[in-house]
Amino acid sequence: MMPIGNLARMVTANTLRSRRHFVLSAFGIVIGIATFVLFLASTEQVSSVLEKIFPLDQVQVVAPRASLLGKDISKKLDDAIVKTILTRKEVAQALPRMNLTFPAFGRGDFEGNDLKFEVGGFADGIDGSFVQDDPRIKEQFKDWDAINDPKRVACVPPPDSPTQEVIQSPGAPNANRPAGPQLGPDGQPTFDKDGQPNYGNPCPDPDEYYCDNVDQRCHHRVPVVMSPTMIELYNGQFAKSHGLPIADTDFVKFVTQRGGLSAMRFSIGLGLTTIAGSNTTIHHRPRRVEAVLVGISDKAMPIGMTMPIQYIERWNREFQGEEAATTYSSIIVTLRDKGQLAPFAQWLQDSLDLRLEDSLGQKFATVMFVIRLVLVLISLIIIAISAINIAHNFFMQVTERRRELGLLRAVGATQHDVRMVVLGEAALIGLIGGILGVLFGVAMALGVDYASAHYLPRFPYKPDTWFHFKWWIWMGGLACAAGFAVLGGYLPARKASTMEPAQALTQN
Amino acid sequence: MTANAPVIRLRDVTKSYGVGAAKTQVLRGVSFDVDRGELIALVGQSGSGKSTLLNIIGGLDQPDAGEVEVLGVDTLKANDKKRAAIRNESIGFVFQAFNLLDHLTVLQNVTIPSSFARDAKDIDGRGREALRRVGLSDFAQRKPGELSGGQKQRVAIARALFNQPKLLLCDEPTGNLDSETGKEVIDFFRELNAKDGVTLVIVTHERRISSVAKRVIAMRDGMIVETTDEALAAGRAGPT
Ligand SMILES: Nc1ncnc2c1ncn2[C@@H]1O[C@H](COP(=O)(O)OP(=O)(O)OP(=O)(O)O)[C@@H](O)[C@H]1O
Ligand SMILES: [Mg+2]
Repeated sequence: MMPIGNLARMVTANTLRSRRHFVLSAFGIVIGIATFVLFLASTEQVSSVLEKIFPLDQVQVVAPRASLLGKDISKKLDDAIVKTILTRKEVAQALPRMNLTFPAFGRGDFEGNDLKFEVGGFADGIDGSFVQDDPRIKEQFKDWDAINDPKRVACVPPPDSPTQEVIQSPGAPNANRPAGPQLGPDGQPTFDKDGQPNYGNPCPDPDEYYCDNVDQRCHHRVPVVMSPTMIELYNGQFAKSHGLPIADTDFVKFVTQRGGLSAMRFSIGLGLTTIAGSNTTIHHRPRRVEAVLVGISDKAMPIGMTMPIQYIERWNREFQGEEAATTYSSIIVTLRDKGQLAPFAQWLQDSLDLRLEDSLGQKFATVMFVIRLVLVLISLIIIAISAINIAHNFFMQVTERRRELGLLRAVGATQHDVRMVVLGEAALIGLIGGILGVLFGVAMALGVDYASAHYLPRFPYKPDTWFHFKWWIWMGGLACAAGFAVLGGYLPARKASTMEPAQALTQN
Repeated sequence: MTANAPVIRLRDVTKSYGVGAAKTQVLRGVSFDVDRGELIALVGQSGSGKSTLLNIIGGLDQPDAGEVEVLGVDTLKANDKKRAAIRNESIGFVFQAFNLLDHLTVLQNVTIPSSFARDAKDIDGRGREALRRVGLSDFAQRKPGELSGGQKQRVAIARALFNQPKLLLCDEPTGNLDSETGKEVIDFFRELNAKDGVTLVIVTHERRISSVAKRVIAMRDGMIVETTDEALAAGRAGPT
């Protein structure tokens, strides 16, 4: 067998020799590999974006709705069930969530816009220990009313708006607006033309504290986190239609530019709603609290706001009673391995009579798998056709080069050597074709990303790039190119090695 | 191989091509020995089987039956690897059609046998030495396309000499050359045989080779019809 270095040298020289043969043979491979890596990289990227939105290892445990004689007899999700779930060894984490079960209405000022929004149905609570995304959240996301706060001093709360709407979060006192309510000549509180009271927030640290109208003391604002989905939605449609700036990918930077955390504050009118005819019975007259956004967390509910669960428990108890304050709306279970989903779901059904909310992540994963399979098949077909093309070209080449191959035999090549020379040429064409294909694929990806950035409108979760060229994708592309090329070269190489050298050499 | 064992030993070698009605018997039992240092002229009509026999000796073709021993190796029993090895190390081929590789330089053509040798040393030096011997030192970096027929054949001879073979098999080496250039080639072969002791088997129609040969083997229809020894060959022309 000829030394490998000599083989490599001979193969390289032979491959570079006929440009026409090279282009004819490599062309298909280039196209095939380009589509191969492009398809894989795009499905990889889309899958990972989807998995970020719908984590595959997270499932939502809910109680199936059941009623008997008009009475709700659904199983109650409570701490006992959370504990039972946590005994399962496949469970890494169980995160109970509690929805705000009565209407509430929010109002805030953002960049000079008077924003009003429903909070009921769009708010829930989770324990602070689950939300640890950044130092600010760690510090702020907790039940401030549970600690002994020296700033919880007596204060005069702002008056209710005559319009029955919740008032905006009042600003800190200044020269025109002293602390506390400003009374008119009639001794009644005065309001500006927008219906906002003339009132300066009298609390210490007015950016962080507000004056509560029930116990007439200063309270820390309710800390709220929002999910990245909200930012995406905001950037996608809301910001544009309201003429607002796009949030930076670095949300903290964005917040700082907007004037810090205090700019992200708003009022919540508990028990208020804009939805006409809402007939939820509430046990308490509406009241106002103030909240502040403390950060972005993917533990937050996708659309809405999430606060420490103790606030939700207290308010549910206040407005709906004990049952509402002790029943979780769902338990988010993180599995140690997404493969354990099926046995866990079965166990849940059998022993707790609970079920999993249909996992969107699972559905998307299945769809993506099928799409990827189809795309990869298409590119494999292209590559297979180019392998056949290589076989065809090499058969012609081998016939054309009989004399040359015969001479190699005469000067000492074994049949195996000749076979390796031809196979090596095929592999090299495959490899170069593969490299060109990968480069071509990457170039096309850059083109698509450029077009996407410049011509596609913004939409939620619009990615910066549509492709993720993981190392195994281009390695796989190269291996696939070389592999199929060698496959195409196999029969021609066999023919070359079994050709009789004698005849070719003695013919004139 | 013992010191006085023949370089080539053929016994009842037969060879046919094709099957059934299309079958042609090319060699019908050829036997002869070639001793070390001989210069053999293999003559005979076109189609008599000379090239076939030469290819069988060189291991480029396989006989149907008989015994073929070349340089002590039974080429019928040896595997492809072994045959390739003796072609590489001990046998040089010179063909009528030169069979140079046009994409390589003259020097690369000469050194191509080194591609199939393990631990080949001083490849270019040996290649240049072979070129010097055939008088083409100045042509090392030329391409074969730029050479005359005689120069091409000298390059082919340099290639055959690259590994300093013990046996040189030449199939009508002067067939494509004019008589003047052919004469130079023949003189070169004679010198090679006389000075270096290389054993040569030359298939030829050329009377001059027959006249310089130590022995002339004549073939007809796949059989040896006449073997003339040195003395006879010196006295008269070959059978063609
Ligand atoms: N591969 C082959 N297949 C079929 N027949 C062949 C093959 N090789 C040679 N022959 C036949 O074998 C016979 C001998 O051929 P060979 O080339 O040995 O003759 P030769 O003596 O060298 O003739 P020339 O002087 O023309 O070169 C011819 O009839 C030829 O047609
Ligand atoms: Mg012949």
